[in-house]
Amino acid sequence: MKIILVILAMAMPLLAKVDLTTLPGRDSVQLTIYNSADLTLARESRDLTIRQGLNRLQFSWANTLIDPTSLEMQPLARQSDIDVMDLTFPPRVRELGLWNINSEVSGKTPFEISYFTSGVSWRAFYMGTLSEDEKKMILQGYVNVSNNSGEDYENAQVRMVVGDVNLIDRIAMLARRQYAYDNPVKMLGQTVTNTALGDEKLVGNNFSFDYAMPGMGMAGGRGGVMKKLKEVVKESLSEYQLYSIEGTETIRNGWSKRLPSFKPVEVPVKNLYKFDDGMYGYTVQRFISFKNDKEHKLGEVAIPEGMIKVYRNVDDEGHLSYAGGSNFKYVPVNEDVELALGSVEDVVVEPMLMDYKTANYRFDDKGNIKGWDEVRTFRFELKNTRDVPIKLEIKRNFDSSYWTISNEGDYGEYEKIDHDTVKYTIELGAESKKVFDYVLTSYNGSRIDEYIKK
Amino acid sequence: MKIIRTILVLVMVMATMAQGRIKLVALPERADSIVRLDNPQFTLIEEERVLTLQQGVNKVDFSWKGVNIDVDSIRLSVIDHPDEVKLLNVSYPPNEAALVWEISSNQAREETVRISYLLGGIDRLVTYKAVADKDETQVDLKSYIVLRNFSGEDFDNTQIVLDYGQTFMRDIRHEETKQLQFFKKTEVPITKIWTFDARSMVWDPETVPDQNIGIPVSYRIVNDKKSKLGDNALWDGKTRIYQNDGHDSTIFLGEDNAPMTPVGEKVELKLGNSRDIVVTQRKMDTKDINKIFTKESDYRNRRLVMFDREELITAKIENFKDKTATLTMIQQIPGEWEMLDCNMKYTRKDNNTIEFEVKLPARSADGPAKKELEMKYVIRHIRANQQPRVINR
Amino acid sequence: MKKIIIVLMMLAVPVLAKVDLTTLPARDSVQLTIYNSADITLARESRDLTIREGLNRLQFSWANTLIDPTSLEMMALAHQSDIDVMDLTFPPRVRELGLWNIQSEVSGKTPFEISYFTSGISWRAFYMGTLSENESKMTLQGYVRVTNNSGEDYENAQVRMVVGEINLLDQISMLAQRQYPYGSPMPIPKAFRETETLSRKSNTRSLGMLADGLMMAESAPAMMAKDVMKESLSEYQLYSIEGTETISNGWSKRLPSFKPKDVPVKNLYKYEERMYGPNVIRFLSFKNDKEHELGDSPIPEGVLKVYRNVDAQSHLAYTGQSGFKYIPVGEDVELNLGAVGNVVVEPKLMDYKTDNYRFDGNGNIKGWDEIRTFKVELKNTREIPVKLEIKRNFDSSYWTIKNEGKYGEYEKIDLDTVKYTIELAARAKKEFSYELTTYNGSRMDEFIKANR
Repeated sequence: MKIILVILAMAMPLLAKVDLTTLPGRDSVQLTIYNSADLTLARESRDLTIRQGLNRLQFSWANTLIDPTSLEMQPLARQSDIDVMDLTFPPRVRELGLWNINSEVSGKTPFEISYFTSGVSWRAFYMGTLSEDEKKMILQGYVNVSNNSGEDYENAQVRMVVGDVNLIDRIAMLARRQYAYDNPVKMLGQTVTNTALGDEKLVGNNFSFDYAMPGMGMAGGRGGVMKKLKEVVKESLSEYQLYSIEGTETIRNGWSKRLPSFKPVEVPVKNLYKFDDGMYGYTVQRFISFKNDKEHKLGEVAIPEGMIKVYRNVDDEGHLSYAGGSNFKYVPVNEDVELALGSVEDVVVEPMLMDYKTANYRFDDKGNIKGWDEVRTFRFELKNTRDVPIKLEIKRNFDSSYWTISNEGDYGEYEKIDHDTVKYTIELGAESKKVFDYVLTSYNGSRIDEYIKK
Repeated sequence: MKIIRTILVLVMVMATMAQGRIKLVALPERADSIVRLDNPQFTLIEEERVLTLQQGVNKVDFSWKGVNIDVDSIRLSVIDHPDEVKLLNVSYPPNEAALVWEISSNQAREETVRISYLLGGIDRLVTYKAVADKDETQVDLKSYIVLRNFSGEDFDNTQIVLDYGQTFMRDIRHEETKQLQFFKKTEVPITKIWTFDARSMVWDPETVPDQNIGIPVSYRIVNDKKSKLGDNALWDGKTRIYQNDGHDSTIFLGEDNAPMTPVGEKVELKLGNSRDIVVTQRKMDTKDINKIFTKESDYRNRRLVMFDREELITAKIENFKDKTATLTMIQQIPGEWEMLDCNMKYTRKDNNTIEFEVKLPARSADGPAKKELEMKYVIRHIRANQQPRVINR
Repeated sequence: MKKIIIVLMMLAVPVLAKVDLTTLPARDSVQLTIYNSADITLARESRDLTIREGLNRLQFSWANTLIDPTSLEMMALAHQSDIDVMDLTFPPRVRELGLWNIQSEVSGKTPFEISYFTSGISWRAFYMGTLSENESKMTLQGYVRVTNNSGEDYENAQVRMVVGEINLLDQISMLAQRQYPYGSPMPIPKAFRETETLSRKSNTRSLGMLADGLMMAESAPAMMAKDVMKESLSEYQLYSIEGTETISNGWSKRLPSFKPKDVPVKNLYKYEERMYGPNVIRFLSFKNDKEHELGDSPIPEGVLKVYRNVDAQSHLAYTGQSGFKYIPVGEDVELNLGAVGNVVVEPKLMDYKTDNYRFDGNGNIKGWDEIRTFKVELKNTREIPVKLEIKRNFDSSYWTIKNEGKYGEYEKIDLDTVKYTIELAARAKKEFSYELTTYNGSRMDEFIKANR
């Protein structure tokens, strides 16, 4: 533990050799960790014995990553009688703040100290296990909390925020400034030192700390009691999602911890394959698709972005085969999810230009070509060699917004995506083939004007 | 060399230091294990271990050294009592290749758990050996897994699994390579094909007098039931093809990389070149017709706007073999074109490509069997100097 | 020297632990199938192994040879249903060694076949041709030369040669020298690579020394020239040398492959500026068919040295040499012997005219013809009759041609090339003329219309 709170004997000059009373550790701590930025709001409460009159409280946090500009203190009782007068960052010492507190009462009073720290982070992580027929996937969600803040947080209430917060300064930078609010007189050497620190992490620093470890209760407590999996409570606040882990967790500096974020759910999924040469080249990409809604046993809350690893059950004994890894983006309620598993060869899409003709030439007075049409016939051969039915999406881009299209064969649904893109959606049964043709006429030069008039 | 270790921390409450971790009792060695090689990029290891659990919360330490494990891929599943034994959370100690599972059990018991993870440095190749009969109508096809273990880990009596075919129980040492036959199919029918591709091959052998312009020869195999295959996709792999020589021995015909071949698809494996079939292709005539010029009063100022170019191509095909052969001839005609005259039947593969199947009789006493393709087509050229582009997709 | 060693290991002993090994007797027979289009030889050897019921371990090592370990294969030649070759293992930290596990339900002496590819053994064909004094006939002698630099001695081997272009993905010599038989899924650490290079170097050195020490290994000379059997397999020709041969490492051996007498040949001379510049090139031409005392099998590519009988005492004069390509049965052969001065071809432009001018409305030229008259003079200063092929290129596809004089046959080769074929008697002269009209501008369109 590196954060130390000291009450100074009264009316003594600052930092003179005085009798200090080191206070006991924090009574409780709550961490609210953001995933979009390196930012954690820590809120701790401590019982302080204060005297009537002026109290000086020294707070130091050497070798941690606390942002001093975020430091705040407030009494949790007798608020009208206790006045937190000011906060001073004394000269020539670093990572230390001094509160002057004027109290009209004396005795033990609970206080809350809050601050931002960097170095504590979390990420969501998922495991998907497909059934043998690939119609269902057991989705397990986890959160992985890492603590590289320099401070051990014991028995902390851990909450996680999903959402993009706006930050002007990086907390890690604020935590490393020589002066809490910087210095109006720029000293060259100093600035250089500050920047030189960069955002190098405070992992494994070489300082030794002469503090005693209090007897630490293990998160699990005593043996003998069957422990349940912890619940993660999810709620929406403003534009953000707040996940709170039941009970408390101890996450020491340097450690990370993976906790289940929701109970495994069996989600009905579709095997979706995509062909989009503008996006993926001439390959077929595999996706697992489902929706964050009730129908898919989900839909209660948004799903935070994270990495998923997808496995497939290969037999009744629960043996697994690794299907692939993918990155999830943030999925709001009722949104479609498509997990990219990479390119495959067992679903084949073969596009072929079968015919190319030009027509309807228009000439100007001099005999130069001023307009013409291009007529292209494309053939798509689709093959599903897998033993499960699939859905296939084919996107075609035309590089022109002046076109007409006519279709033939098994082309399924066909949809205009934007001015120069169409999408064909085709269902293919297990081990089946389909073929469709489309004729694309694109208009050039003065034929564009004729096309618009029509 | 056992590098992956599982340790059960027996004492529930211990005097923990912030940095130092105290590891206590090492767990029994892995029991059953599986090396699953069905994903060509990633090898999944599944291993079973029996944990001696106490009632309450147990800490199990899993650590490794000198091996490359994808940490996020590590899974622990409880086999015997999944409802009574629960994995609570996983902790990752600082600067160590290790993790600590917190597992709760409602009573003291021996519990089998399955640990799975993706391990780097271990993979497999698939290779094939095909032996054709003397008539080249069928092959005996064998497939091998070549397991390459450079992961840093030894596996004792582990099960080696691809997605189909035979599975094996073997010991695998670090830095060991093992070749195992995992299927064999006899009398798989093949089609022998000769291909002349005018897009990439020399047209007129007389222009390279000291060289034979070999015609590539391949065997075509269809991955279907009729060919005694078709149960699974055939993995990609190097294929070496031999032929029975009729003297209780074989000769080596050549090798090729077989691509991944899904069920129902065909694969063509190149053996080598035939020099007993000779194709001599020449452009015999070209004429520009249907010229359209800009309208200029002065002839010298006018520009060619569009024209059609007529081309006459001949291709003489000679078979010097004493056997019949069917030559696949691929011709390319780019851009906007129309066939005017052609003395052989062709199929249009795409806009720029047409394909001929030329059946060639065996040579006779008079000399080689000959056939001659004659085709005349016209290509539209827009703007005088712009060549038609090859666009096929 | 024998470097390929097979060891049958005692049962139920841990792999590679120090155990009693029984080195097996040398191979009973060996067959080499050597290719000429690539550095690859298929070796197939049979050995009698005494196996036991149950698991047998067989160690096969080939230090300082050039064997491709990925090609190693083993099969029982008897009791095949009772003997299962389970797997082949390349154990860690040893090179050039493989270990077979063989499960057997029988015990006793059993013949096994082991086959593999090796690099370092090659063969090539070469020829000697002896022309008769009048150069109308040639005696052709074909030879094959087999060279063994594989590091291994092959004694009493059945030697077969394959003529043909096989498709190979990797060089066998590369596969033979990899640190791990199938490579490794990861890049090899630098330290490893350095030691590997070192060991490779010393390897080569010891190979060279071994070759020096092997001068004794030549087999006894055969009493009669051996026959070479030829047959065709797939797209290739297989030549099998009668009986067996001993080819020790470092040695080469030459064997006659065929000797047809009195092949009728033609003295062919060619003139084509696009191909040879302003030179006359001499060719010897014949056909691989019965009429030319050949035609039994294709002739493998090789180098031919041509001599000429200059007198009745069979004294020879060297005429020249030519590399030639593979010749299928029924195909024409043309052996290029180089440029000569004793047959002369001189084309001359004798006349140039323009004609048929066409004008547009403004009086500008829009079309015209060019008419060129060429005279070609031919001289044969030799005392034998010759055949001449003259090719002319026009750089245009809009042309017509008119001929005069004794021009022989004339053939359109492609859009802008024609060929004249002329026979010239001994010490004879000929000349012929042709008139070439080429069409330009709008005369092209008129030309097209007129020819439709």
